[in-house]
Amino acid sequence: MNERVAIIGVGVMAARPSSEHLSFKEMMFEAAQKAYADAGIDAHEVESFVTCAEDLTEGISIFDEYTPDQLGAVQKPMHTLTQDGLYGIADAVMQLRSGLVGLVVVEAHSKHSNLENPNSILNYALDPVYNRPLDFNPHVIAGLEMNGFLHATGITQAQCAQVVAKNRTHALKNIAAAYPMNLRAEDVQSSPYLCYPLRDAEMAKSADGCVVVVLAGASRAQPSKSRPVWIRGVGFTNDSPTLESRDWIDAQYIRAAAAMAYGQAGIKDPVAEIDLFEVDDAYAYKELQHLVALGIYPQAVAAGRAVENGESGAAGKMPVNVSGGSLGIGHTLEASGLYRLAEIVCQLRGEAGPRQLPRAKVGLAQSWRGVPTTSGAVVILGR
Amino acid sequence: MAGTQLRHIAKWRGEIPIESLYTAGIGGQRFFKALKEKGKLVGTRCRRCHQVFVPSRQFCERCFVELTEEVRAQPDGVIKSFSYAYIDHNGGRLKHPVASALVQLEGATTVMLHRLLEVKDLSRVSIGSRVKAVIKPKGKRIGSILDIEGFRLVE
Ligand SMILES: [Zn+2]
Repeated sequence: MNERVAIIGVGVMAARPSSEHLSFKEMMFEAAQKAYADAGIDAHEVESFVTCAEDLTEGISIFDEYTPDQLGAVQKPMHTLTQDGLYGIADAVMQLRSGLVGLVVVEAHSKHSNLENPNSILNYALDPVYNRPLDFNPHVIAGLEMNGFLHATGITQAQCAQVVAKNRTHALKNIAAAYPMNLRAEDVQSSPYLCYPLRDAEMAKSADGCVVVVLAGASRAQPSKSRPVWIRGVGFTNDSPTLESRDWIDAQYIRAAAAMAYGQAGIKDPVAEIDLFEVDDAYAYKELQHLVALGIYPQAVAAGRAVENGESGAAGKMPVNVSGGSLGIGHTLEASGLYRLAEIVCQLRGEAGPRQLPRAKVGLAQSWRGVPTTSGAVVILGR
Repeated sequence: MAGTQLRHIAKWRGEIPIESLYTAGIGGQRFFKALKEKGKLVGTRCRRCHQVFVPSRQFCERCFVELTEEVRAQPDGVIKSFSYAYIDHNGGRLKHPVASALVQLEGATTVMLHRLLEVKDLSRVSIGSRVKAVIKPKGKRIGSILDIEGFRLVE
């Protein structure tokens, strides 16, 4: 049994609005090459592979059939999760901790620019009997949730706009970000409404990209052989997805996932014990809602104030989404959680260059699978 | 044009037409039958957690028990949240926004998502506003969530 599990290699493709020159297999091949080189391993040494993808966004059914070649996984155990990449990390951790394998690879990517009707695909995710006949754009769910969340917490539209300004400005220092921009909250607030009170600029724009992560048990992850970043806790849960009976104010899927991860990591006070956070910001208000569910702000209204006064900025006392988040990097479908994770690894290794934080010993990555889901995962990493 | 040819080589277009039937089930049929035949909104009540699900369901997701007690909700309700969509279902920009709301009906503890009808002045809508479900006349009801036209603000 591998008591401890570490990330020993990460391969990140820069996220871009489109990637016409590469097929999804070639994107995976490139990210895998980078990850294996980073880990100092050969593809043949990997014992098990996990890919994270959704058939309808791939435009291929039975997507797991299309994955071995480009990862060096031919004739090896492998499977696909229809989930965000952080679920793949949880899967790999469980495989490693069982002791059956010592080296596992997790992959997720986005080829969003190939989707001709992404809204229709999202629409297929709605309940076909009660919700889909209404013919709403599924982003309405975010508009409804944001409106209820602001009403219940006292967080303001201006504070949500500040999240966009913060993350896209952070992205200026990230070469892997597709949407860096020096923005102010006022700029965001002049953007038209998408689904009131949600503005167009408050929804992360889509990007193509790919991340491959190499995980190893303690015997392989010696500091002499690699630069291990240890997984201290992993949690993942789904709340009820049903629109009629879910919680519309609190992100309970993250509250429960965080409790799992904090328990494993022995974290009692996340504010004092965690140095940086990379959380889902597919819509600006979600960053604040997720931070509240992570237990960072017992009074939800404080999450809004923290972004306003710079506390959650790169120079603040509790930096959130220094990478740029999905608002700055671009939303990369199932790879979104792995971009969050890759930033934590980079910061903990001290390799974040112009955006390196002075204190980065413990970091938390969190993902959400987007509307209409209530699935989320939390991974805590330590040096 | 060389550029056009290159694009043709770079991408191949394909599509997957998917058509399905979706089963309403025991819980759903109970709701749709009452809606179609009587114009009533029925739910089911959980004897353990006292949640009243409207539309009715066969089981409680929290207590994992079968729901057998039928409850009737009133068409009157209160807005728990609302939104105006400025995009259609394909993401195209709409000239006039479409209003929708999460409404908790009297007698229900869950919410229902539906259209907000005849909203001329958006500033008149707020969380907590009272609404009434507008149900189609009997001859036009087919046993669908669209047998409810939506919710109308109550003055
Ligand atoms: Zn119950």
